[in-house]
Amino acid sequence: MFKLGLRSVLAHRLRFVLCTLAVTLGVAFAGGAMVFTDSLSSALKKNFAVSTADVTVTPASPIQTGTDRPATFQIDLVDRIAAVPGVAAAVPQLMVGNVQILGPDGKPLENYGLTSFGAAWPRDPGAAPFKLVDGTAPWGGRQLALDESTASRAGYHVGDQVRIVTPTRAVTATLTATTTPAQAGAAAGAPLVSFDGATAQLLLLGKPGWTSITVALEPDSDPNVVSKAIADTIGDAVKVRTAQQVTTDGEHDLDNTFGGFGTVLLLFAGLALFVGGFLIVNTFAMVVAQRSRELAMLRAIGASRGQVTGTVLAESVVIGFVGATLGLLVGIAVASAIRFGYELLDLRIPTASLQVTPTTIIACYVIGIGVTVAAAAPAARRAGKLPPVAAMRDDVHVPERSLLVRVLIGAFMLLMAVLFFGIGVGAGGLPGTVLITLGTGTAVLAIVMLNPVISRYVVRALMYPFGRKAPVTLGRRNAERNPRRTSATASALMISVGLISGLLVIGASVKASIDKSLVDALGTAEILVTNDGTPSFGAEVGDRTAKVPGVRAVQRVRQQSGEVGRTNVQVTGVSDGTLAGPVTTTFDAGSAAALDAGQAILPRNLAKTLKLTVGKPFDLKTTNGTHRLTVGAILAPNRQLNAIVVSLPTYGTLGGSPSDNLLYVEVAEGNQVAQVRTAILDQLRKDYPTIEVRDQEAYAAVAREPVNGVLIAVGFLLAMAILIALLGIVNTLALGVVERTREIGLLRAIGMDRPQLSRMLRVESIAITLLGAFLGLAIGVTFAAAVQSAMVDDGLAVRDIPVLQLVIAVVLAIVFGVLAAVWPSRRAARLDVLQAIASE
Amino acid sequence: MSVGDVAVRATDVWKRYGGGLTQVDALAGVSAEFGKGRFTAIMGPSGSGKSTLLHCLAGLDKPSDGKVFLGDVDLTTLPEKQLTHLRRDRIGFVFQAFNLVPTLSALENITLPLDLAGRKPDQDWLTTVVDTVGLMDRLRHKPSELSGGQQQRVACARALVSRPDVVFADEPTGNLDSRSSGDVLEFLHRSVREFNQTVVMVTHDPTAASYADRVLFLADGQLRSELVDPTAESVLDAMKQLESRHDTADELAG
Repeated sequence: MFKLGLRSVLAHRLRFVLCTLAVTLGVAFAGGAMVFTDSLSSALKKNFAVSTADVTVTPASPIQTGTDRPATFQIDLVDRIAAVPGVAAAVPQLMVGNVQILGPDGKPLENYGLTSFGAAWPRDPGAAPFKLVDGTAPWGGRQLALDESTASRAGYHVGDQVRIVTPTRAVTATLTATTTPAQAGAAAGAPLVSFDGATAQLLLLGKPGWTSITVALEPDSDPNVVSKAIADTIGDAVKVRTAQQVTTDGEHDLDNTFGGFGTVLLLFAGLALFVGGFLIVNTFAMVVAQRSRELAMLRAIGASRGQVTGTVLAESVVIGFVGATLGLLVGIAVASAIRFGYELLDLRIPTASLQVTPTTIIACYVIGIGVTVAAAAPAARRAGKLPPVAAMRDDVHVPERSLLVRVLIGAFMLLMAVLFFGIGVGAGGLPGTVLITLGTGTAVLAIVMLNPVISRYVVRALMYPFGRKAPVTLGRRNAERNPRRTSATASALMISVGLISGLLVIGASVKASIDKSLVDALGTAEILVTNDGTPSFGAEVGDRTAKVPGVRAVQRVRQQSGEVGRTNVQVTGVSDGTLAGPVTTTFDAGSAAALDAGQAILPRNLAKTLKLTVGKPFDLKTTNGTHRLTVGAILAPNRQLNAIVVSLPTYGTLGGSPSDNLLYVEVAEGNQVAQVRTAILDQLRKDYPTIEVRDQEAYAAVAREPVNGVLIAVGFLLAMAILIALLGIVNTLALGVVERTREIGLLRAIGMDRPQLSRMLRVESIAITLLGAFLGLAIGVTFAAAVQSAMVDDGLAVRDIPVLQLVIAVVLAIVFGVLAAVWPSRRAARLDVLQAIASE
Repeated sequence: MSVGDVAVRATDVWKRYGGGLTQVDALAGVSAEFGKGRFTAIMGPSGSGKSTLLHCLAGLDKPSDGKVFLGDVDLTTLPEKQLTHLRRDRIGFVFQAFNLVPTLSALENITLPLDLAGRKPDQDWLTTVVDTVGLMDRLRHKPSELSGGQQQRVACARALVSRPDVVFADEPTGNLDSRSSGDVLEFLHRSVREFNQTVVMVTHDPTAASYADRVLFLADGQLRSELVDPTAESVLDAMKQLESRHDTADELAG
C-alpha cells in the first residue's frame, strides 16, 4: 500500500508540488526558530553561563528587580561573610544596567536593544564578571574601561577620551583599559563600562552600595556547606548561591530571554501550517475524487477499507516527509542568515556553530508529517468508504458527510462565540480581552464550519459588481460549484486577513488613544524632558531646567516597581505633592491633597483589581521591604499616571533612588513654547548629551513609535501566512483546471477565446479572494472593536478604524487574486482543444 | 454544385500523425463539398478517419496538407483567435457526450455562444429553436437534472441558436437509446428542412445516417463511395461492401 501511495505521488507530481511547498514553509518557520535559538543560547551558555566565583551572595529583594535598578546592600556585609569559616575571600561587586556610552560623534551608540552595563572594577580578578584585556585598571573619576567589543565598534583606543551618561550625571573620562566578559549574568555579551569602586557607586547608584558579593572558598571546603553557613550568619536579607546554582540560573535566564523569541516564531509556524493545512485538505479531497474509480477498483479486487485508506495516507506521509526535509533545510538556511546578520552588526554575540539538535530534527518531521497526515485524513477516510461497485460505474461520487452536521456544529459554535464576545466586552480589561480572543477563535472555527453553506450567497453578493457577462458568470459559478473546496481555500485567506485587519484596527486605535490620552494627561505641561536610552537622570537636570527663563514650574516624576500582594505595580513619585500642577487629572474619589498627607493615589483599574477604596490600607513591597500605605484618592484612567502615585518624600522612604525619569515643564505666560524648549536644550545639552526636550506633539510621536515597530514586524510575519493562503488559491484553481479539462475543451470548441478563458479563471480567483478577505475583515474588525471596548480603561480609550488601510487591503486582495490566476490560466490556455474534449 | 451553394469545402486534405516508419495517414487526400441546406452524414469503420475529417472541417484540427473552406474563408491559414471566433459565430457543435457546462442552466447553455460573443439572442428565433427541441419547460434546469436525450437536445438548440453556417455533429446519438436518438435526429432533420440549416454528422449507426440527404463513406482516410437519399438498408449494404473491400485489400496487402 505504501508503494501504491508513493507511485501515486510521483504520477501526480504537479498536484503535490504546492502541497509540499506549504509544508516546507511551515516547517521552515519552526525549524529556523529552533535552530536559531538553540545555536544562540548554547553559544551563550558555553561562553558565559559559568560562574567564576565559588559562592555568590546577592541581596534578597522582596520583589523582582530589573538590571537598571538592582537591589543593593552595604559594605559591612563583606566583612561578616569573610568571617564565615571556609571563606577565603569575599569581594563586593557592582553591576548596573543603566548607562549610556556615547560614540566619538557625541551620539549614543546603537546597541540593537542590548542593555549597556556599568560596573565597579573588581578588587579580585579571580572572581570578577569580566577581566582585563589591555591597558591598566581605571582609577578615580576621570578614568574608565570599556569591553573590547564596544571599544572597537565605536573606534575607541586606550588613551582616548570617552563620554558616558549615567543616571546621576554625564562624565568624560580617559579610556585606560579594555575588558572581556568572564562569567554568567545579564551583562554577558552586552556593552560594559567600568570604573573604580567608589566612582562606580557615585555614578551608577548615587549612593554607596553593592549588587553582589563573590566568595572564594578555602581549599577542601564544600560550597554547599559554606553557602548554608553564610545564609545562617547573614539571615534572610541575602540570597546565597553556589557556582552550580548560578550557572543553572544563568542558563535559565538565557532560555527565558530567547524562549520568548522562539515562542513567537513557533506561533507563526503554527499559523503557517494551519493555513497550509487547508491547501492540503483540498488537494487530497480532489485527488481522491479523481482517483475514485481506481480506488474502488482496488476495493473490488480485494483491498480492505483500511488498505485503501492506507494508500491515501501513505501519499500524505511521503509529502509530509519531503516537505519536512526541505523545510528543515530552509530553516537551517534562514537561521544561518539571521546569524550572519548579527555578525554584520558587529555585536560580540557569540556565534558558535549552528545547533541542529536531534530534538529539532524530530520535531520538524513530527510537525511536517503530522500536519500533512491530519489534513489528508478526512479524504483518506472517505476513500476507504468507496463501495467496490463504484469501479463499474461511470460517474462516481465520493461519499461526503452531510453538511447538516457541519451547520449544526457551526451554528452552535457561533452562538458560543457571541456569548464569549458579550461576556468579554462586559467584563473588560485583560480577562475580557482573553474572552474576546477566545470568542474570535471560536467564531473563526464556526465560520470555517459554516462556510460551505454561506459561501454561495456571500460570493454572489460580493461578485455582483463584476456584471453578468458569460466568462464572469462561468467563473463565479465555478467558485460556487464546490463549496467545500472554495470555502477551505477562502478560510485560509480569511484567517490571515482577519489577523492583519485586527492588527491594523488595534494599532490605529492604540495610536489614536496615545494621542488623545497624552493630550488629556499632559494638559498644561507643554514641554517634557526625558533621557532616551537610560531611563533616569540626575536631579540636577530638574534644578537647571527650573532656572531657565520662561519656565513657570517643573514637576519631577520618579518611577520604580513594586508588588501589592501578587500584583506587579509601578510606583510613581511626584514632586511638590500636587497633581494639579502641570498634570491635569480627574479623581473618581479623594483629591491630590492625599499626597501631602503621605497617602497613595491609585488608578481606577488597579483599585478595582485590588478591591481597594479611599481610606483602606494596603501593603506595598519594594526593593527595601514592605510598607503599609493608605489609599488617599482614586484616579480616573490616565495614560501618564497608570501607577501608584505618592509624593517624593514618601517615594524616598520606599527605597526609590533620587534620580528623575521625567520632567513636566510648564511654560510661563507670554513665552513661546518653542523658544523655551530651545533654551532648556541649550542649558542641558552640553552636560547631558542624551537628554531630550520635546513638546507634546514630539512626545506623542515617540510614544507611538513602538506601535509602528510592532505593526511592521507582525505584519511581515502575517504576510507569510497570506502568501501561503495565496498558494492555496493557485492550488485550487490549478486543481479545477485539471478536473474540468473536458469542460474547458468544450468551451473552447464552441467559441470561448483564450482571453475569455483567462477571465473566467480570474473571476473564480477573485471570488475566492474576496470571500476570504470579506470574512477576514469582518472577523478582524469585530475582534479589534470588541478588544477596544474591553480595554477602554486600560489604554485603548479611542477606537480608530483605518478605513483607507482596510480598503487598500481589500484592493490588494483583488490584485493578489488576479495574480494567483495567472499560472493556472496559462496552463488552461495551453490545453489542446481536441485532447481536452477527449480526456477522461 | 456551384460555389455559392457550398457551405464547406475540403480540397485534398491530408492528416498525418507521427513521422518516419511510424507515420500514419489518418486522412489521405480527402476532397468533398457540403451543400448549403443539406444534411450530410459521414460514415466509416472505426479508424477510418471520419472524426478527424469532421474536426478538420470544423476548424478544431489543422490538416497537415490541403485546404478547408467555410464559405470563402480558408480555415487552414486562420490564426487561433480568428478560428475561435469563427467557431463561435459561424459553426455549431454537437458532441457525443459532455456537451453542456454543468454550472449553467439549459437556457444559459443554449445562449452560451451568443453570450461569449457578447450578442443578444434573437428572441423569436430562440423561442422557435427551444420549441422545436421541445424543452420549454426545462429551461431553468441544470444539465444534471436532465436526461441524456434532453441534454443532447439542449446541445442541438445551442448549435442552432446562433444561426451558424454549418452544424457539426460528432456521433450525437452515440450514448442515447433509440427513442431519444430518434428525437435528436428528427430535430436535426427538421432544422435542415424547415430552417434551411446545413448539418454535417459523423455516425456509425445506419439508422442515424438514413436521416441524412447524402452519406459519404470513408475508409483508411479516403473517400470510398457516396449515397444520395439513403435508407437504413442501403446504408447497411454500402457499409458491408466497404468492409468486404477493406478485408480484401487487407488480404492483398498481407
